Amino acid sequence: MTDGRALQKGSALLLPAVLFGLLVAAQWTTIATPGVQDVGIRYIDPLAAAVNRLQDEQASLKAQLAEVRAKLDGVQRAASAQSGAAKDVQAHIDELRASAGLTEARGEGIVVTIDALRPLGAKEPERQVCLAPDLTDVVNVAWMAGARAVAINSERVVAASSVYCVGATIVVNGSIVAAPFAVSAVGSAPSLLAAIDDPAQLVDLKRRRDQLAVDMRVTRSPLVTVAPYAGPLGARSAKPQ
Amino acid sequence: MRSRAGVLAVTATALFLGVLVVSQFRSREAYSRTLRQETPEQLTRLIADLNDRNRQLRSEIFDLRLALDAAQSAVASGRGSLETSEKQLAQLRVFSGRSRVTGPGVGVRVEGQFDERALSDLVYELRNAGAEAIAVNDSRVGPRTWFGPGSSGTLVVDGREVRGPWVVRAIGDADVLYVAMTRTGGIVGQFEVIYSRTRFTVGRESTLDLPAVGGT
Repeated sequence: MTDGRALQKGSALLLPAVLFGLLVAAQWTTIATPGVQDVGIRYIDPLAAAVNRLQDEQASLKAQLAEVRAKLDGVQRAASAQSGAAKDVQAHIDELRASAGLTEARGEGIVVTIDALRPLGAKEPERQVCLAPDLTDVVNVAWMAGARAVAINSERVVAASSVYCVGATIVVNGSIVAAPFAVSAVGSAPSLLAAIDDPAQLVDLKRRRDQLAVDMRVTRSPLVTVAPYAGPLGARSAKPQ
Repeated sequence: MRSRAGVLAVTATALFLGVLVVSQFRSREAYSRTLRQETPEQLTRLIADLNDRNRQLRSEIFDLRLALDAAQSAVASGRGSLETSEKQLAQLRVFSGRSRVTGPGVGVRVEGQFDERALSDLVYELRNAGAEAIAVNDSRVGPRTWFGPGSSGTLVVDGREVRGPWVVRAIGDADVLYVAMTRTGGIVGQFEVIYSRTRFTVGRESTLDLPAVGGT
């Protein structure tokens, strides 16, 4: 009888003990997790501020570069009127600048907008996805369809263009571009639309769009404006032969 | 009447500027929010990349200011600015892929199954590592180059079928390009898993000669 009572008492204590154990474990996890994150989180704000400061500095440097280029262009253009040889060189420079993406391009075309989709119930879209390969795939299709000029947001795509992700942040031509990402292409709108709609093109992107993993919209426009390339041209290793 | 039109014009301009400022602010806000989701390591990489780009921009501004001074002096002394123009022309020909170029770099040889998306990714990876000029076999990659699928054993570059094995040659800092290609988890490592029967060979080259766009 005494043993039975002791067993009953023991059983009665078992449930509260398990619950207490679970509570202690849960509390331990709650305390431990922010401690681990704090070490990293501590540096995020000052590092993000440094990125913003450098991006602002870059915008200012690009404006200065555009100003010096325009001044030099003005001097050369005025001087080219003085001799036939200089006039020919200037005409060649103008043609190369246009074909290399150093002048603004306007005309009919399309804009393909890509962004990560917002998960159900979330305030912000899911940004931890690298969309750079999708952007380069769209750029490739645009060139294939005969586009005259292409840009990702305000960054013109040229022969030396870089497009990559650092985490989910996309860097084009050494400059951070913000979501949503817009690939603007100047060229024959019907040809560009046909290429984008071709089932053999952008297979992976369209599959993820259909699975609601990514938002992709295509807009035809009678006037697409693509900004000129604003970065450096100087080559350090490649020399003309 | 005139003052009413003036008020309307000022209002429209103010509205336009307001929209511009707000859209600029929103754009900045959008990537600032993304930045706060990155890790300290990723933010440090962004800082290094932005610093590098800003250094290139400063160097280019410095060179162009010297060229501007030289051109202004030459014009003022009646010599014209032909010399400055010819230097600029040579630089543009390299930048646009319209001249043959030479320099150090790397070669990536691909023997076996491969596709146009992977080739495009490889070219972008080389550009991301700072390649200044790239060619796939004898086809120079230009400002509007595109890649497509070809018939068996070939890929299409700018409408021309290019038969494998493919050798992608890139001029730039050979050490930087080599590390970018061969680092653990890098693009070649990924290809070796995905195209397990394909052989990828990466080599540093002290001198590469690349053709101009169009093969001239």
